[in-house]
Amino acid sequence: MRSIDPSISTDVPAAHVLDDLFEGLTRLGQDGEPVPGVAARWETSADGRVWTFHLRAARWSNGAPVRAGDFVYAWRRTVDPRTASDYAEALAPVRNALAIAAGRMDVSTLGISATDERTVRVELTAPTPFLLSLLTKSYAYPQYEPVIRAHGDDWVRPEFMVSNGAFRLQEYVIGGRVTLVKNEYYWDAARVRLQRVVYLPLDRAAQTERFFAGDLDFTESFSAEQTAWLRARLGAQVVSAPYLGNFVLGINVTRPPFAGNRALRMALTLAVDRETLVRYVRQGLYQPAWTPTPPLPGYQPPVPAWAALPEAERHALARRYYAQAGYSASHPLRVELRYPTDSDNRRTYEALAAMWRTNLGVEAEPYNEEFRVQLNERHLKKLALFHYAWIGDYPDPLTFLQLFQTGFGYNDGGYSNPRYDALLAAAGSEPDSARRLGELAQAEAILNEDVACIPLYYYATRHLIRSYVHGWTSNIQDRNLSQYMYLQTPGGH
Amino acid sequence: MGAFLLRRLATAIPTLLLIATLAFMLLHLTPGGPFDSDKVLVPQIQHAIEARYHLDEPLWRQYLRYLGELAHGDFGPSFQYRNTSVNELIAQGLPVDAAIGGVAMLIAILCGGGAGLVAATRPGGWRDRLPMGMAMLGISIPVFVTAPLLILVFAMRLHWLPSGDWVAGSWRHLLLPALALALPHTAYIARIVRAAAIEALAQPYIRTAIAKGLPTHVIVLRHALRPTLVPLVSFLGPALAGVLTGSIVVEQVFGLPGIGRLFVTGALNRDYTVVTGITVLYGALIIGFNLLVDLCYAWLDPRVRARA
Amino acid sequence: MSRATRPGALIAALLLALIVAAALVVPWLSPYDYATPAWTEIFRSPTVSGGHPFGTDSLGRDLLVRVMWGCRISLLVGIAASLLSVLIGVCWGALAGYAGGRLDGVLMRTVDVLYAIPFIPFVIVLEVAFGRNFLLVFVAIGAVSWLDIARIVRGQTLAIREQEYIEAARALGVRTTTMLRRHVLPNLVGLVAAYATLAIPGVILFEALLSFLGLGVHPPLASLGSLVAEGANEMQAHPYLLVLPAGFLAAIILCLNRLGDALRESLDPRGDGDGHD
Repeated sequence: MRSIDPSISTDVPAAHVLDDLFEGLTRLGQDGEPVPGVAARWETSADGRVWTFHLRAARWSNGAPVRAGDFVYAWRRTVDPRTASDYAEALAPVRNALAIAAGRMDVSTLGISATDERTVRVELTAPTPFLLSLLTKSYAYPQYEPVIRAHGDDWVRPEFMVSNGAFRLQEYVIGGRVTLVKNEYYWDAARVRLQRVVYLPLDRAAQTERFFAGDLDFTESFSAEQTAWLRARLGAQVVSAPYLGNFVLGINVTRPPFAGNRALRMALTLAVDRETLVRYVRQGLYQPAWTPTPPLPGYQPPVPAWAALPEAERHALARRYYAQAGYSASHPLRVELRYPTDSDNRRTYEALAAMWRTNLGVEAEPYNEEFRVQLNERHLKKLALFHYAWIGDYPDPLTFLQLFQTGFGYNDGGYSNPRYDALLAAAGSEPDSARRLGELAQAEAILNEDVACIPLYYYATRHLIRSYVHGWTSNIQDRNLSQYMYLQTPGGH
Repeated sequence: MGAFLLRRLATAIPTLLLIATLAFMLLHLTPGGPFDSDKVLVPQIQHAIEARYHLDEPLWRQYLRYLGELAHGDFGPSFQYRNTSVNELIAQGLPVDAAIGGVAMLIAILCGGGAGLVAATRPGGWRDRLPMGMAMLGISIPVFVTAPLLILVFAMRLHWLPSGDWVAGSWRHLLLPALALALPHTAYIARIVRAAAIEALAQPYIRTAIAKGLPTHVIVLRHALRPTLVPLVSFLGPALAGVLTGSIVVEQVFGLPGIGRLFVTGALNRDYTVVTGITVLYGALIIGFNLLVDLCYAWLDPRVRARA
Repeated sequence: MSRATRPGALIAALLLALIVAAALVVPWLSPYDYATPAWTEIFRSPTVSGGHPFGTDSLGRDLLVRVMWGCRISLLVGIAASLLSVLIGVCWGALAGYAGGRLDGVLMRTVDVLYAIPFIPFVIVLEVAFGRNFLLVFVAIGAVSWLDIARIVRGQTLAIREQEYIEAARALGVRTTTMLRRHVLPNLVGLVAAYATLAIPGVILFEALLSFLGLGVHPPLASLGSLVAEGANEMQAHPYLLVLPAGFLAAIILCLNRLGDALRESLDPRGDGDGHD
């Protein structure tokens, strides 16, 4: 966890803590769908570009009322270049957000205003069907201006922090435990049953160990390799469900050997036995992926036709493409497979290298590297193949498809196709949801046709949850607020 | 003595400077900056962040700025943990390592020293071979094997002690990590003490004492103890410095918020100031403890005093 | 005392020879290789009859073959890095001891300064900085672990220098380098061999630590350290994955320490080895 300042934090562990500490205009429901938060109700303009939110009588953890101006202040702070927020881009749908973050416009021009103490008006650049989900995220929380003014960057310390969520911060040890206690001023406090929540930063193996030792009630993850073993011992306490994330191998299409070589890209993607990978390496936890976007409500991603081929035929086809690309047993493809250091990743990449070796004769060398070093090399487009796993920001195909848009900041493969960009742009201004998703599906089909990446599987959430912990529901974003949870046996955390 | 101290201090400062320079330069040469996050930032934001941490300045100026701050005892802001200074991080981590390291060293000195003395009384007998065989094992089995095994046995199977985490003031949380850390040190100390005690017991005046019929434990405690202190102290100096700055493995396995883990995550995340800060601190501790060791020598051994 | 140590050292030497022989022969004889996964053989427990006496790992690979490869890699790193450190240490120490005077002062002061450099942090920073090159691992380890040897060699050289035959040679006008090569170095061989033997386990442990932190060899290749790290992750479900490689690691280090001790004792019967002579 690098920071628990809602304008600055970017990592998943901090997001969980912030979800408990703060509440936005909307909050995440138990099923993962946005429900009314600080805003009790809202209405939208006909073109979907102006939203008006009416706030309820909510209070900060020091008793002060939550005002519309607190949202305006927070959002401006997030996009203000002086805040040096890593996440200013996330508010991109809000009018002028990008221009302000880029320093071209003043923060006061941001598309958010307080019409009165209890009304927030949000102006968007385009209809944004996922806006309500976006509003549940940390960068859209309100912030309490007086305490930030008084203490500057130190306002996140337990002794100063003022928050408006179901819990407030009691203790924060960097690299150690974070303790939250119930916020009695929370507007919905009557329904919050936990008195105390403790977060511990532990690696995956340690989480499982500590669960067995009886120190933990809930783990963020467990090792996929232990699934069968854990299920045999813990039964229904092992919980897994589809997750809004994909495990994709990125391809740099701007440099050899993959530039202009669709046949080679085809050969590599055809030679991956996804079912084997999912069944044996991931112990059946994940779903095989043939296309980047996982299935979402209302969206069935297009699957390439070859996905249905029997294994032997698929391998034969892969070898034909491999030969067509100019490679053979005497002249094999040599490629480095870099992956971020993590034992789960290591097994997948070792399996992948072995599949390419057996099915095609490719000499692929797995090579682990620190995530940061790798990101840098990826951004500089130094890597031919790279770890491109992505956790969606909101449950919409766009969060995955944007990665292949020309000029998008995170398009590290350098893929660029005018037809693809045109479809994404059309979807961006399409007010009708069904037609919009249709356009996105067409765009995704182009990606698959061009083999812009090698999808491997879709992630699943993995938790160990004690049988006496209730109120936790699997949802695709894997975000669950502690305010919904309760223990059947009293005591503990 | 004063001149000796001055001379040692005079070499300490260039040494620390060298350490700081090496660490600073190495980290700034590495690929991957501290602010490469998941998303590519709008260039202006990237500039804003870099300006805030002076990363936009030429390297030599960053270096001088860093040395200037260092001279005032300021290790600078952490890049990784926003809103936090390296001094604060160290202040938070050091007590954890000091508690665990202190208890570990206490265990090591008591058990190791005791075993070494016992072994020295009857070289070659079972009371020598058993503890020395165990000491050999202790040296040969790495901490990253013993630490998980301790957790497996005492936390997961027997449920006697917690498997990790740090709760200030709780001896139950302290015991397993301290034990894991103490094992190799115990083994080293046992070997050192045994060797020194055997040598001491071979001296003519001890033989006289034995001939006079003094009981073994009296001889050992009265005559063999003091000579073992010289090699023991020379071992303890650097060992204490190492233990104070944290054992990376013990902290990792037990999930402790100490300095060692801070260092590794800092190095992996390009947290320049944290890594250089901890490296300099470690260097300073080594130099400081070595100085202490030399002072102890002088006190323990008049011959050294004459030479110094 | 020597009566007690000899059989122990002999057993250690035999055991080590056995491990080295197995590490060389087993991967060559076995039908399995260290890299190819066997999907239907994942996490087989060790059995005598099942074809996998050490069981299989998370990708169904034969653990016996992988542990033997781990021994090869660990020993290779240990020997190579120790040789490097001995080379640097002997040259540095012999030069300082033989030359004496100002040069000696400068060289030994450098050693003093280097002693204060935190060695594990520096190797980790080096690794992170320059990427994980297998060669770099032992160059880095070798380059920082020669300090002890340099000090010892200097002390011995000083002692040898005072001996009469060296004086005579010098009187006859034999050149410095020739003298170092012909008279000083041969006299150091035994001592250096003992310290080199004791340096190897240290290096192996250090490589294992780096591998444990994810900074060691690249998969699918494995060192004992990376196998132990993998095993520690699985120790609850599959303890053999931790116990077997950890056992070999401990056995190798134990044997080398025993041998080194015996060698040192035979040269310097007084030997506390922590000498500040």
